[in-house]
Amino acid sequence: MNVITRRTFLSHTARLGLGTALATLTDIPFVLQRALADGSIGLTGPDGRVKKLLFIFLRGANDGLNTLLPFGDDAYAAPNRQTILIGKDPAQPVDTKGQALFPVSGQTTGTFDYANGLPLGNGFAALHPALKFLAPVYNAGDLALVHRVGYPKQSRSHFDSQNYWETGAPNNNLVSDGILYRAMVESGLANSLPLTGVSIASSLPLILRGSNAAMTNLSDPTRYNLLAVPNTPAGNLKADAALAAANRARFADKRDRELLTLQYQNLASTLDIFAQMDFSETGNTFVDDENTDGDQPYYLFPTTNAKNGGYARNSDTGKYVVPAAAYGHFQNLKAASLVLNKTSAIVAGVSIDGWDTHGNQGGANGAQAGLLRRVGWSIYAARKYFTKYADKCKWDDLVIVTLSEFGRTTVENSDGGTDHAEASVMFVAGGGVKGFQADPLGGVKRSGVFNCGGDSDPIPWQTGANGTMFQATGRYLKRNTDYRSVLGKLIRDHLGATQPQLNRIIPGYADPTESLLTRGTQTRDQTAVIGEPDLV
Amino acid sequence: MAAETPNITGLTLQNGQFQLNFDPFPATVEYQLQQAASPELPFAGNGPGLLGNFVWSALPVTGSEGFYRVVAQTLSPDELLGATLLSRIAYGPTPDEQARVRTVGPAAYIEEQLAPENIQEDLDHAAFVPTWHKVTASGLGTASAVFIYVDGAGEAFLDDVRLVEGPTDDGTQPNLLRDGDFETALGSDWLISTNLVGSALTPDVQHGGDLSLHVISTAAGTTTSSSIYQNILPALSKTKTYTLSYWYLTSATETAQLTVRLSGSGIVTKIPLKDPNASPAPIFTSLTAGTATINDLRAWHVLHAVQSRQQLAEVLRQFWENHFVTEYTKEHDYFNNAGLDSNSAGQIATQLEFAENIRWRDAMRKPQCTFYDLLRISAESPAMIIYLDTVGSRGNGSNIANENYGRELCELFTLGVDNGYDQADIVQISRVWTGWSIRLVANDQVGNPFAPTTTNYLDPNAITNKTAVTNLIGTWAFNYKSASHNTTQKKIFFQHDSAGNATTPKLVPARFGQPWAGRDYSLVIPAGSGTNSIQEGYTLLAHMANQPFAEEFISVKLCRLFVHDGFAIGYDFTDGQTTPEEELVHACMLAWENPPNGGPKGQLRDVLRVIFNSELFRSNSGSLQKIKTPLEFNVSVVRALRGRNGDGSFTATTDGYGLLAALSRMGRMLLFDRMEPNGYPEDGPAWISAGTLAERLRFVQAALMPAGMTGKSDAGTATMIDPVALLRLKAPASLGDAGAVADYFLGLLFPAEGTANLAAFRAITINFLNTDDAGAASPLSGLTPGTSPYDLRVRGAVALLLTTQRFEEQ
Repeated sequence: MNVITRRTFLSHTARLGLGTALATLTDIPFVLQRALADGSIGLTGPDGRVKKLLFIFLRGANDGLNTLLPFGDDAYAAPNRQTILIGKDPAQPVDTKGQALFPVSGQTTGTFDYANGLPLGNGFAALHPALKFLAPVYNAGDLALVHRVGYPKQSRSHFDSQNYWETGAPNNNLVSDGILYRAMVESGLANSLPLTGVSIASSLPLILRGSNAAMTNLSDPTRYNLLAVPNTPAGNLKADAALAAANRARFADKRDRELLTLQYQNLASTLDIFAQMDFSETGNTFVDDENTDGDQPYYLFPTTNAKNGGYARNSDTGKYVVPAAAYGHFQNLKAASLVLNKTSAIVAGVSIDGWDTHGNQGGANGAQAGLLRRVGWSIYAARKYFTKYADKCKWDDLVIVTLSEFGRTTVENSDGGTDHAEASVMFVAGGGVKGFQADPLGGVKRSGVFNCGGDSDPIPWQTGANGTMFQATGRYLKRNTDYRSVLGKLIRDHLGATQPQLNRIIPGYADPTESLLTRGTQTRDQTAVIGEPDLV
Repeated sequence: MAAETPNITGLTLQNGQFQLNFDPFPATVEYQLQQAASPELPFAGNGPGLLGNFVWSALPVTGSEGFYRVVAQTLSPDELLGATLLSRIAYGPTPDEQARVRTVGPAAYIEEQLAPENIQEDLDHAAFVPTWHKVTASGLGTASAVFIYVDGAGEAFLDDVRLVEGPTDDGTQPNLLRDGDFETALGSDWLISTNLVGSALTPDVQHGGDLSLHVISTAAGTTTSSSIYQNILPALSKTKTYTLSYWYLTSATETAQLTVRLSGSGIVTKIPLKDPNASPAPIFTSLTAGTATINDLRAWHVLHAVQSRQQLAEVLRQFWENHFVTEYTKEHDYFNNAGLDSNSAGQIATQLEFAENIRWRDAMRKPQCTFYDLLRISAESPAMIIYLDTVGSRGNGSNIANENYGRELCELFTLGVDNGYDQADIVQISRVWTGWSIRLVANDQVGNPFAPTTTNYLDPNAITNKTAVTNLIGTWAFNYKSASHNTTQKKIFFQHDSAGNATTPKLVPARFGQPWAGRDYSLVIPAGSGTNSIQEGYTLLAHMANQPFAEEFISVKLCRLFVHDGFAIGYDFTDGQTTPEEELVHACMLAWENPPNGGPKGQLRDVLRVIFNSELFRSNSGSLQKIKTPLEFNVSVVRALRGRNGDGSFTATTDGYGLLAALSRMGRMLLFDRMEPNGYPEDGPAWISAGTLAERLRFVQAALMPAGMTGKSDAGTATMIDPVALLRLKAPASLGDAGAVADYFLGLLFPAEGTANLAAFRAITINFLNTDDAGAASPLSGLTPGTSPYDLRVRGAVALLLTTQRFEEQ
């Protein structure tokens, strides 16, 4: 029975006071709150700018073996990959050392027809030809490609595995908030800045979800404002004010009511920011500063046929840099880029769906190639946007990272497709990324390829029928790097988390048997991993 | 009513008076402050002091010595259950259904809804009845002519046009138009331009008198030279306000819009002639004819959700459609790649989606429908066969079977992720499905999985075209291709040694307890070939459908649908630690395993009855603990204000199509077209974020806008909601009373919240109703019902309530 008497009045008020202090921790002044956090996530550096992260989620599981091609492995061949195999260019032997090849030919369609792997100069690996626009990014040293990424006891369920990538806690279904959400909370800014983590997608992904601060999502910034019935400025203000008052009303606790309150508040606090920004197509037309592929400069964000590669001049769909179906993605990528440059957002993300190529995966062309074109041009275009156009967030301030829940079977199935498997590839790009570097004295100082042959492969790729491609129980590429080590490296050394913060953001870091930091054996499934790759 | 005691959170002394703070209690209709001289004695009374915002203030220090507690008088169990039922086993309450459930009681409503085959209704064959609708608008007398025209070729019926001086027409003012009732011949009072020359008075239909105006337009009108018009004598005053009104007859098919306006822009009305109370019947006709598009199918589905009295059947049809999810786009692309043009491919893909949906509906109309019945329909559906790639999967010779369907069959359709199976089982199971494909067969061979390709041609003389798929007449149907089948023995649900060889059968884990724990659930399918090997698939489905893993997973999903999100697979039913959620899942599984009324295992109505009768579902622990999906949200907005007028029309209507774009914007809820095989999520966090809330708010405001307002298209121009018409219908006495208007809508929209918990909403709503757009006092009682200012004020207030956090819940 909830009876209170005046005799217990004092102790109740005392308890009430303490409870109030804890409950309003998120409301304490900005300066004090920031002082509670350590590290430098979201803090302005000496150059006056903030380090930021753009993630691209490749949902559906990308076939890493047909992305970063292990040409040096003779198992990468028919019949394992009968219909989807990417061929080798006899004129460009894979054991050539140096830069990535950017193919140029005299044909009218230029390099768009190029169908062979692009050797990456580490003597072993090559890039899928649909990623050819990454060659200049790679050669500039701004791109790292990390092969053989996975996690212990890999789930082959899309949904569990995506959840694990997003929560940063593999095989732990009790963790229900996202890894980048936690990074934003650790910044100490998640409840004082209106925007910290933003997803340009139709809904908020788990990676940005959590119960103590609201991250933001929006699918179309130009629609991110409210209507009201009278549709007059005054009447709409009246409606907004009435809704704000309704949002302050108290109600009994129910399962989702805190979520609703938090997200309604986030909506209210972010509307103005987006209303004041120009997301229009006319106000945001960005063009390359060099001729791509022997043609005129292309538009960076292909959102219409006329802005898609050389199509406008040739009316030739063969001159598209990306498939027409990708225009929605490039709208999103443009919005994400503008948000990172113009707002307080520290993290922004987009997703590219459709990687679940169980059938008709295609080789140099086809389903997966069309998706890879989006990835390649996205990174190419972002580099140009943040170098040439952005003013508050420069290319040096940004890291782009891709995520994908698992890789696909080494051996192709009867449908010209591949099924769910284990390790795959991550792309990491940015001005501060430790990619390819030529040796000033001649030769190559550093490759941008991690874990796929060459010198920067601490756990060497085993070739042949019993090699790495088959070492995770049969038809599955074995991992040697944990995705958490890649994300952890970026969150600490790029965004600015301290190691204790990182131990909270990615709990596995606090457990030495996970070997996330340095080379060792992940004891959960006795697999040797390299620890953190030296990416930034 | 029941009495409960909310938590008291504080007692403070302020300005010589005590103040007592307490927590809101769910479903409370009245809070009382009760007193007793000692805790053992009965508490009684109400007061002293003032109640507001969960604070009891102004308690005098002297003279009120004693013990106090706050008592919450809550909704009766039947009231609470009725409200929960209408928001969970229905797409939200309608005013009429809310009243009906109060009358018949929740128990009868549950039993009625569990047996949709006994609810007499046939929306798909309902004949269309045109109805007269009135349009009223006010404005300045900008010029002295009235124009009537259509925005293209089309027809309309119009009657009783009135133009009167003043901001309203109370029926007593003189009509400034001559022959506004269209009872005397055209040509003198009303003049007709050439594009409308076929127009005439007709005795076939009329709103009043004997005749009405039949407008027949060959081309769009704009002004005198292209309209039916009348010059008004004497001329109107440019500074005076006039009110124009008229009646028009709705049409089932007319797509044109009718304009009646003054010359100039003083008064302009433009309305779609198509009946906004769209029936799904015409769409059903095109669906069965195979000529429908995917948006037709979606609109049909939405219209059923809005209109059907078989609400639980509609909720379940969406649930199973989403559980056995397939993707229209992938099917479209399959047929497109096979050589069909995009339109034809889309029609075929739509037909496949429609066909499986109808099969599920029909199966669920059988009282003993089991999970297996529905699972089998999904496995045989060409939509699924294309979607998860069994269509081309081969296991003969050295071919490696495609694992897509085999994996999701285990993970998503039957057992639940990692629940009783592993990768070795998926490899074996995937071999079972090799050969399950589709083929274009003669129309009378649809049920024959061994039928040859149809040999009927559109053009039998087109010899060169005989192999072209575009020239064949038939239906794409499930077809078994035994030559592709993997003919080896399959040992499913076995343990394996380190070399990968099957060893001992798997046993049901101990956590399930009795009667399941320790059961051998392995399945050995002997080597087989030829047409008989089709049976392997059915054997496997029947085996999986009633394993405890499936019983658990499907029960969990149904509990998430009907109770709340906090259910998961993996309970230990034997460890002595339990929760209401675990107990409910266990009770569902027992009803599945041991059908209380006999018959086969897995009867869905048995499981549903357990959920609906559970304490968890009926209590505050279940009530309002879920967030609406976009589909549930949009449909519930229309239903909430959908009262049935005497003439058969409704106060809230949609054509179905208008809701689709909003569904997409609220988180890409593309019906019948989800890319990922896990279906759309049921849980709130997946749907609720700033971007999706912005779209929900925009949708509500647009839906409540009157026709023609800028922004209306966000909810579809044919989504018409008229809250004032609903007030006139259900609470005519309250029209001029802001408090009564607020009370009516609060009771309608938040029936489970309890009126005492809605005090803040009530105050905000009354303030809204009594304030003009600029924020100045302007009592609702000073506005005239029937005028635009009154109409917009009420529309705005209802939109406000529908955009609050509380209307996101169900």
